[in-house]
Amino acid sequence: MTLHNPTAEPEATRARALGEVVRADEEMAGTTRSNKMLLGFVPISLLLVSFFLVPLIVMVVYSFWQTEGVNVVPKWTLKNYEAFLGWTTYTRVIAKTFAISLGVTALSLLVGYPFAYFLVRHVRKSWQLPLLVLVIIPFWTSYLLRVYAWMGILGRKGLINQALMALGIVQEPLEFLLYNNFSVFVVFLYLYLPFVVITLYATLEKFDFAQVDAAMDLGARPWRAFVEITLPQTKQGIVTAFIFVFIPMLGEYIAPKLVGGTSGTTIAVMIVNLFRGFQIPQGAAVALGIALFIIAVLFALRRYIRIEEMY
Amino acid sequence: MVIKMSGRERTHTGFVFYGILIYLFLYVPVILLAAFSFNQSKAATLPFTGLTLHWYQNLFRDYLVIDAFKNSLLVAGVTAVLATAIGTSAAFPLVRSQFRLKETLRVVFLLPMMLPGLLIGVALLIFFSSLLGVSLSLWTVIAGHVVLTTPFVILVVTARLLDFDQRLEWAAADLGANPAQTFRLITLPIIMPGVIAGALFAFTLSLDEFVVTLFTIGSQSTLPMYIFSQVKFGVTPKVNALATLLLLGSITLLFTVFATLTGKGVKSS
Repeated sequence: MTLHNPTAEPEATRARALGEVVRADEEMAGTTRSNKMLLGFVPISLLLVSFFLVPLIVMVVYSFWQTEGVNVVPKWTLKNYEAFLGWTTYTRVIAKTFAISLGVTALSLLVGYPFAYFLVRHVRKSWQLPLLVLVIIPFWTSYLLRVYAWMGILGRKGLINQALMALGIVQEPLEFLLYNNFSVFVVFLYLYLPFVVITLYATLEKFDFAQVDAAMDLGARPWRAFVEITLPQTKQGIVTAFIFVFIPMLGEYIAPKLVGGTSGTTIAVMIVNLFRGFQIPQGAAVALGIALFIIAVLFALRRYIRIEEMY
Repeated sequence: MVIKMSGRERTHTGFVFYGILIYLFLYVPVILLAAFSFNQSKAATLPFTGLTLHWYQNLFRDYLVIDAFKNSLLVAGVTAVLATAIGTSAAFPLVRSQFRLKETLRVVFLLPMMLPGLLIGVALLIFFSSLLGVSLSLWTVIAGHVVLTTPFVILVVTARLLDFDQRLEWAAADLGANPAQTFRLITLPIIMPGVIAGALFAFTLSLDEFVVTLFTIGSQSTLPMYIFSQVKFGVTPKVNALATLLLLGSITLLFTVFATLTGKGVKSS
């Protein structure tokens, strides 16, 4: 404020009036300004049309064509989509992938919820953020290497077997630890747990725990207070975590390929095999089927998707 | 001496114990991975037969690794620059202009992040090799990586722009700055932490990207491709050495992102 104007009040009003004039000017120039600003969309539109939209359309077309030998010929057919009908190799792998993904999602929620609860309720406020960052760090390191780390632990000559043999608990290395559904399960849990913890922490942190105290004052046992008060009010976080674990897991390639062995084949591994075997239209059809399913789930649960909160 | 604990204390101890268990689950695999890179044994597992830097020397002499590393840096660098430019440019109208379908457009822009990378890789393979007939190279890889990482830049820069007090720009204009000057002297410095964080995200993601690369790469190799080819059939200490260096690198990058986002962010807002 200037000294010549001891009363701040008129100055403020003037400034506000000026602001309104400026804003009115803005609005008048609004259409041209706004149009000019939309130019900012040009680069991303070019990018997405040429390297995302057009490739996807081409892929849709290919999924309705046939193969002759190793070549794709432009003859229309619905045969590739018959893979989704009945109990075929394809539907078996799809069903198994869904079962594993659902199982891991449920397990990671069961493991992650108490941990997020621990962070919110049993850790001093000033320690919460550093401890949360500690959960996120492994999540941002190389995905491939995190899978690799487990190969060294679960393998035939891996840490667990070496330790068990050294202690004399087993004579022969355990074979069931690696290259099957069990190892896929463990590695998926390891990869996705940080996701679950971050999402649930964000929800639990906002929850007002005075409500639980009130319920317990009124005679509810701790477990009952949890089931009837805490759980329903943190549903948002649970569903968000579900989406961010279940959906990406459906398209996972590296983990099942590296630790799944032959029995651990999932949809993604199958699609890659189809492409390797020059069954491009069939591979395209399976990939599109999964993509459509994912888009449908995302659309149905769209109000639970708070991407901004994740990063 | 008998220590009696109340029910509440017992619950607390239980939760703390559980918390420690989870941290062990998260960190023991990574620590073991690094530890075995210093082990003399060829099997990258127990028992420890002695300390060595042999695997690191081995690594630096391997021209396949050096080559893959150079390719990865090139791809990640170009991807980061392009994704940051494209994403930042899109973030402005997404935050500042009003039009119908804005929400829809936002979701469409973020779609490549939500769909499995496999789908994008497969679609690009068909597009490049069957439709365009171009030979696959590092440039086709870059195209895929830019599609994949731009949404992350949009997210970070959008968040930064939402906090932006636009009166600062009006003030600059009142004081006679032309739009270019306002952008260079006011807007850019304020959103810079978001832009840098976005660029680092894009860089890190590209450096680690495997599935899209698998489909869009020609005869060259990147670090994840190299690692994958080495570990497909088991563990080798040389990969552990490479892994240790990469983990250190990405943790450093990560802390830089945190520092840019929180440190500078507080100062300028």
